[in-house]
Amino acid sequence: MTDTYTRRHLRLGWWTLFAVVGLGLGLALLRVFDVEAYLHPANDTRRLMWTLAHGHGAVMGLLHILFGVSFTLTPALAPQAPRLPSRALTAAGLLLPVGFFLGGVSFYGGDPGLGILGVPLGAVCLLVAVVATARGR
Amino acid sequence: MSPKRQPRPTAPPRSASPSRWPLAVLIAASLGLGFAAFSSFDPSTPEDQVADRPVARPDSGYVSSDTCQSCHPGEYASWHGSFHRTMTQVATEASVRADFDGVEVTNTHGSPMRLERVDDEFWAEFDDPGWEGDDAERPRIRRQVVMVTGSHHQNIYWYATEHERGLNVLPSVYLIEEARWASRSAVVLHPPNQSLAMLDGHWNAICIACHTTQGRTAFSTPFRSEAFRDQVIDTTVAEFGIACESCHGPAEEHIAAHRNPVQRYRQRLVDAPDPTIIQPTLLDPQRSSQVCGQCHSVWEFYDLEGERLANDHGLPYRPGDELRDTRFVAQPSVDRSSDAIRALATADPDFIRGSFWPDGTIRVSGREYNGLIDSPCFRDASTPERTLGCFSCHTMHKPDDDPRSVSEWADTHQVGAGMDSNEACLQCHEPIRADEQAHTRHAAGSSGSSCYNCHMPYTSYGLLKTVRSHTISSPSVTESVRLGRPNACNLCHLDQTLAWTAEQLDAWYDIPAPPLNEDQQSVAASLIWLLEGDAGLRAITSQAMGWAPAQAVSGTSWMVPHLGEALGDGYDAVRFIAARSLRQIPEAPPLAYDFDGPEPERRAAAISFLRAWREDPARAPRRAPELLLDPDGELRLDVMRRLVGRRNNRPLFLRE
Repeated sequence: MTDTYTRRHLRLGWWTLFAVVGLGLGLALLRVFDVEAYLHPANDTRRLMWTLAHGHGAVMGLLHILFGVSFTLTPALAPQAPRLPSRALTAAGLLLPVGFFLGGVSFYGGDPGLGILGVPLGAVCLLVAVVATARGR
Repeated sequence: MSPKRQPRPTAPPRSASPSRWPLAVLIAASLGLGFAAFSSFDPSTPEDQVADRPVARPDSGYVSSDTCQSCHPGEYASWHGSFHRTMTQVATEASVRADFDGVEVTNTHGSPMRLERVDDEFWAEFDDPGWEGDDAERPRIRRQVVMVTGSHHQNIYWYATEHERGLNVLPSVYLIEEARWASRSAVVLHPPNQSLAMLDGHWNAICIACHTTQGRTAFSTPFRSEAFRDQVIDTTVAEFGIACESCHGPAEEHIAAHRNPVQRYRQRLVDAPDPTIIQPTLLDPQRSSQVCGQCHSVWEFYDLEGERLANDHGLPYRPGDELRDTRFVAQPSVDRSSDAIRALATADPDFIRGSFWPDGTIRVSGREYNGLIDSPCFRDASTPERTLGCFSCHTMHKPDDDPRSVSEWADTHQVGAGMDSNEACLQCHEPIRADEQAHTRHAAGSSGSSCYNCHMPYTSYGLLKTVRSHTISSPSVTESVRLGRPNACNLCHLDQTLAWTAEQLDAWYDIPAPPLNEDQQSVAASLIWLLEGDAGLRAITSQAMGWAPAQAVSGTSWMVPHLGEALGDGYDAVRFIAARSLRQIPEAPPLAYDFDGPEPERRAAAISFLRAWREDPARAPRRAPELLLDPDGELRLDVMRRLVGRRNNRPLFLRE
């Protein structure tokens, strides 16, 4: 049963890392070509949001991998199928980086766009995933 | 027998002693922290502990621009790149443009001024300007430069007088573009041989009003009512320079209201005016222009009570208010006979002449609001939509779609994208667009077809240059004759007479020609102004001779001897501008001349320059009687002497 979860999270983790590496490359290119939409001081908020999307995406990718590997290394961690932490982690892995990214697509001065609402939801999901994993549920 | 080498004692086998690691980590961490602390150490005294200059202390609802930055980074960035921000700054390595590192400045009043850097401090030693005894015994003083005014054309340095927070000005000013010093009297249009006023406390009492945000002079008694050193001076400002709250008003309420993110997003999403802050561009043109007019106008307090109130609490005007509720905006073109103007003129006989043309329109720079309110586009406009205001052409924040850099935008007077062209006027005068040439009578795209060049000529003066008049007007020979104000046509067609211009205006626009005397019919208008005019007019004309469009239209070879003669002008500012224009004329011989140097050296340099011009075998000036050059290419000195004999020599101090 846990093999399914291991496989799922390892794949999610690597695909997430693939996406954030792509995003990182994109951000580097925006800087290399001195793109105003990214580097102008008026777009500080966008730069911050996309940097956070990149950072959180990377961390979430690694968390997926760690989560997946955990069950292989220590099967006792999950005596039963870790449905709740898996679902919560999957949601967090999507909501956190995407929320930050959308928050920087359109924004209001120093305030991110409404996409940022995904971030607190993602943070709650991540919290649930961590607690549920710790409790072995 | 060689001594037997003793075997070296073998070192005990190294082992990674676990007890050393924590120590090594501790040392490394301490070094790291020490380095970080050293790098972030700021040796300057905290603002609230500074005692020898005015300090920034935002209160009374003011919060400072730093608070605005986090929510309005774009607006903050363009303001930060503007010259408004750097109007007044604390003296630092970034704000002081001149070299203070062991420099001796000879362009000064009295003995050379010595400059010195002491760590992050700037010091100057110079003749004590406050000495009232025998000039030969004038003592030297050494003072710390603590503040700087200006960052675009000039750096004016203020030193701590060592009397409370009072400031005084260094006897020399640094000209940024020329990268040189000049004595303080040389950088203002000021009568020669007339000593400049002592400026102790001047910044605290006068400059503060428009060079800072919400300044409080805080003199114990009115400025100049008793000796400077007998007064208590506790000058504070909300912020140095013209910052966000100068135009948007105090922002404390706005900040408090928008600390709540729900309120903030609601405001962002509804796209309606925010009642907690003033947005000048949403005001009607009269009120929005008054926001600029609070500084860009000639004004006075209505009475001493108003002055005392501002002294204690800062100026009471807030953006969005009616400006005249709390101050008298002098506009002699309409209120010359008012009691207020009469009172001002009685107290200061040169009040009008120092800032206005004889008809009461403004003639100095930095007072553009006076020009605007005298303009028919503002005064006679039928609706707010068709009323010219400051924001019709200027922007205080560079828009996102403006392709220019912030520094380009700031360098071009913060005019909006495209507003440096005819588009500015065509916003309202749309019918002219269909056939501009029919209106301008000049080839499309030429300098003569520019609305600005005809209706906003360079007839205002300030900072050793001319600026466009902001009194929108049409060229008038009558005004030139009656008021002595140059008309736009002859500021470009420098080689033409007033009679020629009158004829053109009559033929093209049915403007009747006024009666003209013989010289006005036979001598180029520019030369009459240069020889007969007051110092302000001579400065304007000298500058026009260095203006590329005028040079292209009028030619330049004939200007050389006339500008050469202007090198001997009594007014420093006229000499400076004449020399600058000469350096832009390709036919002019090399000019080794310091407008602010000792008089004998200046005269020798001017004579040598004129001689070089006369003896130049390649010299081929355009010869025409109206240019006062006879067929042999020699100056018509008799006419020149006659015109100079009629010169308006009344002392003139333009209060830019």
